[in-house]
Amino acid sequence: MSLPDFVSQLDALVSEAEQSFADAQSAEQLEAARIEFLGAKAGRLKAVQKLLGSVAAGDKPAAGKRLNEVKSAIESAFQAASERLENVVEEVCDETFDATLPGTSWTTGRIHPITQTILLLKDIMGRLGFTPVEGPEIEDSWHNFDALNVPTIHPARDPLDNFYLASAQLWGNGSSGGADMLRSQTSTVQIRTMQQRQPPLRIISLGRVYRPDTADETHYPMFHQMEGLMVDRGVTMSDLKTVLRLFATAYLGNSVPVRFRPSFFPFTEPSVEVDYYWNGRWVEFGGAGMVDPNVFQAVGYDPEQVTGFAFGLGVERLCMIRHGIRDIRDLYTNDVRFLAQF
Amino acid sequence: MIVSWKWLQRYINLNQLSDAEVAERLSLSGLNHESTQALAGDWAIDLEVTSNRPDCLAHVGVAREIGVLFDRPLQVPDPQPPVSGPAIQSLTYVQVDCPELCPRYTARLIRGVKIGPSPAWLQELLANATGDPTQFKSINNVADITNFVMLECGQPLHAFDFDQLREQRIVVRAANEGEVLEAIDHKTYSLQAGMCVIADAQRPVALAGIMGGAATEITERTVNVLIESAEFAPGSVRHTSRRLKLSSDSSYRFERTVDPVGIDWASRRCCQLILEHCGGQLCSGVIDVGASPIARAPIRFRLDQIARILGIEIPPATVRRILEALGLHIESEPNGNQVWLATPPAWRRDLSREADLVEEVARIHGYDKIPEDHAVPMAVSQTTPLDISSQRVRGVLTAAGLSEALSPSLVPAVLSDLYSPWSNAATLSTLQPMLGVLDTKFWNNAGPVDCVRRSLIPSLLELRRINEFRHNLPVELFEIAKVYLPGETFPVEPTMIGVCSGRSLLDMKSVMAEVFATIQRSLKVRVEVVQDSFFSPGRGLRYWIGDRVFGLLGEISRSTQKKMKLRQTCVVGEFFLESLVQVLQVIPQSQRQSLYPAIERDLNFILDTKVRWSELEATVRAVGGVLLENVAYRETYVDAKRDGEGKKRVLLTMTLRSLDETLTGKQADDICQKVIGACTDKLAAKLVAG
Repeated sequence: MSLPDFVSQLDALVSEAEQSFADAQSAEQLEAARIEFLGAKAGRLKAVQKLLGSVAAGDKPAAGKRLNEVKSAIESAFQAASERLENVVEEVCDETFDATLPGTSWTTGRIHPITQTILLLKDIMGRLGFTPVEGPEIEDSWHNFDALNVPTIHPARDPLDNFYLASAQLWGNGSSGGADMLRSQTSTVQIRTMQQRQPPLRIISLGRVYRPDTADETHYPMFHQMEGLMVDRGVTMSDLKTVLRLFATAYLGNSVPVRFRPSFFPFTEPSVEVDYYWNGRWVEFGGAGMVDPNVFQAVGYDPEQVTGFAFGLGVERLCMIRHGIRDIRDLYTNDVRFLAQF
Repeated sequence: MIVSWKWLQRYINLNQLSDAEVAERLSLSGLNHESTQALAGDWAIDLEVTSNRPDCLAHVGVAREIGVLFDRPLQVPDPQPPVSGPAIQSLTYVQVDCPELCPRYTARLIRGVKIGPSPAWLQELLANATGDPTQFKSINNVADITNFVMLECGQPLHAFDFDQLREQRIVVRAANEGEVLEAIDHKTYSLQAGMCVIADAQRPVALAGIMGGAATEITERTVNVLIESAEFAPGSVRHTSRRLKLSSDSSYRFERTVDPVGIDWASRRCCQLILEHCGGQLCSGVIDVGASPIARAPIRFRLDQIARILGIEIPPATVRRILEALGLHIESEPNGNQVWLATPPAWRRDLSREADLVEEVARIHGYDKIPEDHAVPMAVSQTTPLDISSQRVRGVLTAAGLSEALSPSLVPAVLSDLYSPWSNAATLSTLQPMLGVLDTKFWNNAGPVDCVRRSLIPSLLELRRINEFRHNLPVELFEIAKVYLPGETFPVEPTMIGVCSGRSLLDMKSVMAEVFATIQRSLKVRVEVVQDSFFSPGRGLRYWIGDRVFGLLGEISRSTQKKMKLRQTCVVGEFFLESLVQVLQVIPQSQRQSLYPAIERDLNFILDTKVRWSELEATVRAVGGVLLENVAYRETYVDAKRDGEGKKRVLLTMTLRSLDETLTGKQADDICQKVIGACTDKLAAKLVAG
């Protein structure tokens, strides 16, 4: 047998063996392939090995070398295949199992949409440098009205328009002997903060406020407000407009037009109403203004030294427009199907 | 306030101006434009007038604003009705018994008028100023003229049929309790002491500033007319109007105060128009009781305050033009450099300080002239520990499947009394109840919603009941809100975490443990079983941090369930958020983890049934030392035959591990012996052999 014939038989053998080992899908198949190629008695390698004797003596060293290479190639192919098959476990398909069944019941809860709106407002105002402050919800009328420059005869103080405490007469009318009402606005917290701290101030207060409207689609006797206050030397109305413009842009997006128009609040002068243009009409966003000098005097700040602005807005309306909520009562009925939407 | 475009033109030239342009400018200067109605040959423009601007509840006032905005002159009539009768003082008498309710009262008398329909132009203007001419009903010429003058200048007027006044005189006084009056709406009102009435010699004939009475109203038989133009105390008018649930264009204006100088003008104007259109003779003179208007004091106005407050400069000439057009009289302060003395007109009671003038200038000059891209100094803000804590709590509870609820702070007594774990003091209550917030179909006898809640738990049970009723199961809710515990002068308002769940007590307990762990990984929380009939016996827990109680968790008792008409039992809990804020670890710190293997040892003890796991765990931990990494409960097994009555077996697993070495079996055995010894001594525990 010529050397080239011998070598070509060896080459065919190695490629066939490698293919068979790679194709084996189970230990049994691999064993069968091993016996076919590497069997000690009737393996095909053995058979080719026997042909070596018929190769010309001069070619024998080369043929022998080639034979050894082929043998080790086949053995290592076998080794690789058996390692591959070592981790294979025979799988049985259980036809009764249906992977298209719904997932096993497991749910997360949701954060209330009012809280989500408040978190967003705090986040935006936080980026503008405003830090949240807390204050009591049950207040005295001095903080709720007097300090905010609401005169004693002002209609906003009417007993029918406020939740006064039944024990309020203990303190007499309008005195600050103690808590006598549920706060009707979060501005009370500004007053308390200014009484305790000196300017500069950049604060927001967020929370529940109370007014005795009968609950209907658009009213609820309890709602949430965000109130902001910035006081320092040299704060002007252009600071007010800039901060509120940035706030509106952050909350509503760049493309929503915003306008500032004069309004009236006892605790600011000049006063501003901020509107945004939504679905073809101007919608009130919130009220604002430069802090009235009387308010500064009430808390012991000198209005000749500092100026400031305050703003306030209702959280419910923002939340309802944001989420398409049509009835404010849904927010406080807490039907779990309603809550699960957010 | 609805103004007629045509009517406005009686006082100002509106040529070349469009209604839309005017409405827009008015909006942006303080009179917010609500809507415009197109009428035949006219526009009815509806403007929102803030409570500080009663002068704009009239066509002259709105015309003045337009004049200022568009720099056009205002023409206001100067009524000088001709006098041809005897002196009014010889025919009638006005007595004011209550000057605090009626600071000023004026009367004029016209005799021999001819009552009939009012002229077409008058009817048209009045109809257009209602915004819907089809709804307008003309009364008669005299009544229509009083309404016209009110809508012209803002001063409400009333015309009495003079001959129907008993003894032909007027007494302004406080009503007597129980007096009644039939008003011109033909409804009868029971008056309360303190309400201000206009009376004749015998009886009330009008509700002062609100509505006239039927007995003295102008009818076709009326011949002599007494014209009232007065000022009534705003608080009194508002109070009476609300008590009687009767408001009118007149009361609306008196509540916001009227122009003290305008009182006489309106009276003369009314007489002038009556003489023109109804005939008759005006008696000479006027009865004018009460304080005459006080001259307004000038306001010191430093011009540099404009830039200080607004952030922009406005030329003094512009400032002067604006203020003068608004009716202020300006003088420069002697020696004053850029300081003016500005005297506001009578109709602008809202202007009394420098800040008020800055606002006037700003709103007319235009808020749009103030930049909104100013460089505001940067400042850092902090997230508060309270907010950090709340968010961590929300994170765990929502991950555990509970949704956040928000419920009203006021509850009816039936809920307030259901459970109050944090205060024995009587609940605070409000004078006004909350209306429309209670499921009245269910709570038909609950009483008013006027109790300020002392716990979140009753509210959460109510929310659970509502959801059960709607077949919304499961109901897994929490709320983070304040409760109000009565105190000395101010109540204490702790923020609470309330939970309400249909899962088991132990499930909920582990959820809460995870909540506490996010506040502080190594927080030591202790529980004890409470005796509290609100909870199912033995299934209520009180939570402690150190020596302070900070919460409760338990399964509600059958009787609680029955009271709340709940179909299923549930677990409720309430915890003081501030207690967690106090131990909040804002930034969790990494601890070294052992790289050596752990050894686990199971111990199976026979114990008295009454021994609580908390005691067993505490005993094990007390002697376990630093190598005791964890004590885990495995199971409880009761076999009275083997162990006797009142005994149980509790299997626990101790995990032992060292930070520095692999533990030997002997080290583990030593710890086990110490633990067994302690449990035997303290709890009379017996180790199960093998």
